[in-house]
Amino acid sequence: MRVCVISMSGLRLNDADHYSSDLTDILKSSGAELAVLPAHSALMLGLAGGALEPASDFNSSFQQYIQSHRDWNNRFIDIHSRLACSNNIYLAAGTLVEKDAGAHYHSAYCFNPKGEICGSQRQTHLTWAEREIGLSRGEELNIFDVDGFQAGLVVGNDARHPEVGRIFALRGAGLLLCSGALEAGLNCWPQAAGMWSQVQQNQFWALEAQLSGTISGRTFGASSAVIGPCEITPGQSGYLNRGYPHTSMVTADLDEEARQKIKEDYPLLKLLNTEAYSDLKML
Amino acid sequence: MALTGWKEKLYQRYLVWTCRPARIEKHLRSVLPGPGKHSPQASRRQIRAAALQLELKLFDSPIAFADEMHRRTREAVNEGAELIAFPEYNNLPLLGLLPGFDKMEEAYRNKGKDAEADQQEKGEEDISLNDLFRYMSPAVQPLINTIFSRLAAAYGVYIMAGSYTLADNGSVINRSFLFGSAGLLLGSQDKVHLLPVEEEWNLKRGGAFQVYETPLGKLALPVCMDATYYETFRILELRGADIVLLPIANLEEYNYWLALRGIWPRVQESQLYGIKSALVGSIAGMNFTGRAGIFASLEITPQRDGVLAEVESPAHEGMAVADIDLEALHDLRRNHPWRDSNPALYRRYFPEIYS
Repeated sequence: MRVCVISMSGLRLNDADHYSSDLTDILKSSGAELAVLPAHSALMLGLAGGALEPASDFNSSFQQYIQSHRDWNNRFIDIHSRLACSNNIYLAAGTLVEKDAGAHYHSAYCFNPKGEICGSQRQTHLTWAEREIGLSRGEELNIFDVDGFQAGLVVGNDARHPEVGRIFALRGAGLLLCSGALEAGLNCWPQAAGMWSQVQQNQFWALEAQLSGTISGRTFGASSAVIGPCEITPGQSGYLNRGYPHTSMVTADLDEEARQKIKEDYPLLKLLNTEAYSDLKML
Repeated sequence: MALTGWKEKLYQRYLVWTCRPARIEKHLRSVLPGPGKHSPQASRRQIRAAALQLELKLFDSPIAFADEMHRRTREAVNEGAELIAFPEYNNLPLLGLLPGFDKMEEAYRNKGKDAEADQQEKGEEDISLNDLFRYMSPAVQPLINTIFSRLAAAYGVYIMAGSYTLADNGSVINRSFLFGSAGLLLGSQDKVHLLPVEEEWNLKRGGAFQVYETPLGKLALPVCMDATYYETFRILELRGADIVLLPIANLEEYNYWLALRGIWPRVQESQLYGIKSALVGSIAGMNFTGRAGIFASLEITPQRDGVLAEVESPAHEGMAVADIDLEALHDLRRNHPWRDSNPALYRRYFPEIYS
C-alpha cells in the first residue's frame, strides 16, 4: 500500500477552497491510498482562514478554540470528509479539540474513501501544558480497518508513551497513524524516542505526520516519516522514508509481506514474559 | 548430554578445585590494595560510573581470568568510578578452562557449513552450550563470587559483575550479580526475556524484577534482551529504581539503528539512568558487538541526545565513564514536561493483553 504523511508546509491555509485544492494536488501527486495530516490541523486551518479568533500566544489561541470549537469542527470534518471522498483515499485529518460530557479532548479522525468517519481517537496521555489548558485524557484505544490493515490513531504526546503502542499491537494493530506537532528545534532524538521506538518494540508500521508552520507565535517543525521495523528498511534505520521539518509530503510503499516475515523470524511479541508483569497488571 | 562419564566427572572436580575460593583469594590478596585504600564517598549529585566493554578471549586459568577482571576494575577505579558494570555472558571466557574447547569451538563454528564435517564432529556437537554451562557451573559460581567480592571490597566500589549462565535447580539461567563496596553480594537478577537462540538452548527465564537499595541509589540489573521491552524499565521505575545496569552481548553485526533499540529508548520512556556494559568478539561461531555506554533522559544530557558517554568501537575493548546526578533525575521526574500516566486506560487493557 502506498502511503503519505503531510506536514501542511506549503499549503494555502487562508481559504478552505485553496486548502482543499492544494491538498488535492498533493494527494494526487503522491499516488497514496492513505494519507495522514499532523496534529493541530484544525486549529491552524481555523486561525489562518478566519474561522477562529487568534490570540496573543499559542496557549491562549488554543484556549479560545476550546471555548468556541463546535461550528468550526463541523466545518473541518466536512472539508476532510469531502477530500477523502473526492480523492478516493483514506485520510487521517490530523487533530481537533472536542467537548463531550463537559470534558475537552484532543482527538484525531480518519475518513474512508466514501468520506465516512472510519476511526477516531482521543489523546490518552497529556503533556503538563495540555493538562494546564484543561484537556482530559481519553480512556480507549480504537482499532479500525484501513484497506485490510488493522489501524489505530496516535495523537500527539501518546507517541512518547509506550503503553499506547503496546496496547495497540497486542490487540492486533499493524498500522498506526500518528499526528504530531513538536515545537521547532532539535527534534530528531525526541522523535526517535517516540514513534520510532514504539515501532521497533512492536513491529508495526507507523505513519508520523509532524506539523510544520506557526500558530500564534509558536513555530512547529519536526520530520514527518514512514517508519517500519529496522530489518525491512533502508540501512536498517527504521525509516522507510523521512523528510526535513519543512518537507511538505513524504511517501512510501508498505511491504506487508516483509513485515509479517520479520515478525515470524524475530517474534518479539511472542517473547514477552507476562508472568513478570504483575506490577503493571495491578496498576 | 555427554558430560556424565567418569573422566568428565573427574575433570569437573578438578575445575572446582582449581577455581576454589581460597586459591583465588590468596592470589588476589597478593595483588589487590588493602581494604580502605580506596573508599570513594557517594554523593547523589555526582556518582561516577564506568560501563566496561570486554573483548572476548579465552582463559585457560582462573587466576588469569581474575587478573583480567582486576585489570578492568582498576582501570575504572583509576577514572574515579564508584559503580562499575561488566557485560553479559561473562562466563564465556572461562570456557577456555575446558581442555579441547578449541576443537569444540571449531565444531560449533562450522556447524551447518559442511554436512560431512558435521558428521565427523558429531561427538563435539552432541555437547550443547547449555551442557557446558551446567557442567562448569559448580566452578564458575564460587569463582565469580570470590573475584568480584574481593575486587569490590578492595577498591570500595559497587560492581555489577555481569551475567553468567549457571545451573539452577535442574535448569540453566542467565543471571547478573551486584556486589557492594564491602564485598557483599547484594543481589542478582535472572534474565526475564530470552533471545530465540537462548530458548533453543533451553535456558530458563526469570519471573520477576528486583531493585536493590544502595548509597548510590536504587539499582536494578536486568539483562540484555530485557531492554527490548518497555515493561522491564517501567516496572523498575515503578519500584523506585534510579539506575539500571544492563549487561549485554549482542549477537548481531553492528548497526547504529539496531543497537539503538535497547536501553536508549527505555531510558527515555522511563526516567532512569542506564548503564550498558558490553561483551564483544567471537566465540563458537557467535559474533558479539556493542558499544558500552551511559544514558539518561534527553533533558539531562548535555547534547540533549540521551547519551552521557559511549565507547567508540563496537568491536574492541573500551570503557565509558560519566557522572550520574540523582538529584537532577528526581527534579526531572517531578517537573517533567511530557510524562503522564493513565491508570484508567491501563486497567482497561492490561489484564487482557498481559493475560
